[in-house]
Formats: sequence, C-alpha cells, structure tokens
Amino acid sequence: MSLHSLFMDLAHSPLGHAMQTSKWDFAIVEMVHLLALAVLGGSVLIVDLRLLGVILKGESARDIGRDLYRLLLGSLLVMVVSGVALLSEEAGKCYYSPAFRCKMALLAAAILFYFTLHRRALIHTGSGKPSLWARFAAVVSLLLWLGVGVAGRAIGLL
Amino acid sequence: MPLLQHLCQLLYDSSFGTMIRESNNAFPIIESIHVLSITLLIGTIAVLDLRMLGLVLRPIPVTRVARSVLPLTWSGFTVSFVSGFLLFWAEAAKNYSNPAFRAKLILLGLAGLNPLIFHTTIYRRVHQWESLHISPWRARAAAIASLSLWSGVIIAGRAIAYF
Repeated sequence: MSLHSLFMDLAHSPLGHAMQTSKWDFAIVEMVHLLALAVLGGSVLIVDLRLLGVILKGESARDIGRDLYRLLLGSLLVMVVSGVALLSEEAGKCYYSPAFRCKMALLAAAILFYFTLHRRALIHTGSGKPSLWARFAAVVSLLLWLGVGVAGRAIGLL
Repeated sequence: MPLLQHLCQLLYDSSFGTMIRESNNAFPIIESIHVLSITLLIGTIAVLDLRMLGLVLRPIPVTRVARSVLPLTWSGFTVSFVSGFLLFWAEAAKNYSNPAFRAKLILLGLAGLNPLIFHTTIYRRVHQWESLHISPWRARAAAIASLSLWSGVIIAGRAIAYF
C-alpha cells in the first residue's frame, strides 16, 4: 500500500469524516495540540539551555534530561495523536503540501537526534560544564524543534 | 457606544491596524511569533508548576528552578504581550464582541492574580519548603490553579478564531 493511499484512507476514515464535518471537533483537537506544544516547548528549552550551560548550571544535565524526557515524550505522544486527527481533516492536501513534508522530515530528524547524539551529549556533560560539542548538540536540537513548529504553522498558510 | 468599544473601533480604523489586517503576511507572521512566545511563557511556567507538584526535577530546590525559568517566562510574556497587542490592534472592533476574546482576558487576569497571591502568602516561607520533593498543599493548589488557568488562556485564545 502506498503512502498516498494511506493518507486517503485516513481522510475517508470515520475520524476524518468527524474532523471534516464538525467545526468544534477540529477546534478542540487543535487546542489539545497547542497545549501539548507548550509543554513540549518548555521541556525542550529547559533541557537545551542546561546543555548550553545557561541555566541550572549546578545541576546534572543528565538528571534534568532524564527527568524532562518523560515530560517531552508524554507531550510528544499527545501531539502525534492529535496531529494525526488534524491531518485526517485534509490528508489529501497535506500529502502534497511542501510545509507538511518539511515538518515531517524535521520531526523525524529531531526525534532521531534526541535519542542518539543529544542523549549522549547530556550523559557526557553530567554535572560539569558542557563541551563545545554538547553546546552544538543543544543548538541543533533547538533549531530542529523550532523548525518543526515553524513548518507546522506554515501548513495552514502555504 | 460604550467607551471601550469606541476605543476598539478607533484602533481598528487606524492606519496601522488596517495595515496589519490587510497585509498578506503580517497577520500570520505575528500570529506565529505569538504562538512560539506563548510556548516559552507557558511551557516554562508549566515546568515550575510540575516541580511544585513533585512530578519533575524533584532533587532541585523550587527556588532554583524558579530562578532559572523566570527570565525565560518574562521574555515569553513580553513577546507574547507585544505580538498579542498587535493582533488585537488589527482586529480590535471584532475582538470586542468576541466571547472567546473576553474569556481569554478574564482568564489572563486570573492567571496573573494567582502568582500575586502565591508570592504574598506561602512563597514567603519558601525557604522552609524549597527542598521538599513535593511542595506544601497551598503551593500545589497554586500550581494546579496556574496550570488550569494558563491552559484556559490557550484554549480561549485558539477559540477566538472560531467566533
């Protein structure tokens, strides 16, 4: 089954139908998506600013990272589930949208980066000062997540 | 016409307000900045609230978390206030009668009142409880109020477009 037919199936599913016909279904899911965004943004920011050595310098980057990973994963899960529902409203259009494709690519890169190099940077930094490499990882992470947000906003505009 | 409505109409009719409203890109760009700065504002508040509830960062004293996130919170507040005011400028006459907009302003007022009460009461003795993994019940109540009110602000803010 091709990706395109998967998108079309989503658009024609009962979920897609509900999202297309009810104004408030879409609005409520959008609100949930935004609420989770605030939590995700807050936790990414705090972890990365610690990794940059800007805040909470006396605390272990590894501990902060481990602690806020749960928050990050929880909010990411809510965003993905609500995001699929939002997608179902106009999956056919999103499939061809450059902003949507860009967002998915950035999201995949951000998640992959978070669980590999970024995690390693947090563990290496521990309670000490971040190396240049760890700072670089923090900047890359911030840019990737910011890119996901900006591309996401652009879906509705392009 | 009530005074407030009159003021809203003046803003709406002003050349600057009209410029934002009629530009192809100004409104969505300001809106995107508004959403991103809200993430900064509310995301950092949420982390502090969750710390007081004992859900994250337990080993770090509440005061240290507060000191670290507050500059971020205030930067987020400043940017979202300015960008929000620009959005209002462009749509003031419509916003005036929008129930979601009114609800958002009330919720914002309450969300601002909450830390005021918190800081003049239980937070005065924060040095007695800053290291507790779970803060005293009055601090937890303030944290829950804060999480609910700020969520309400986001929900009402999004709903403005639907009325």
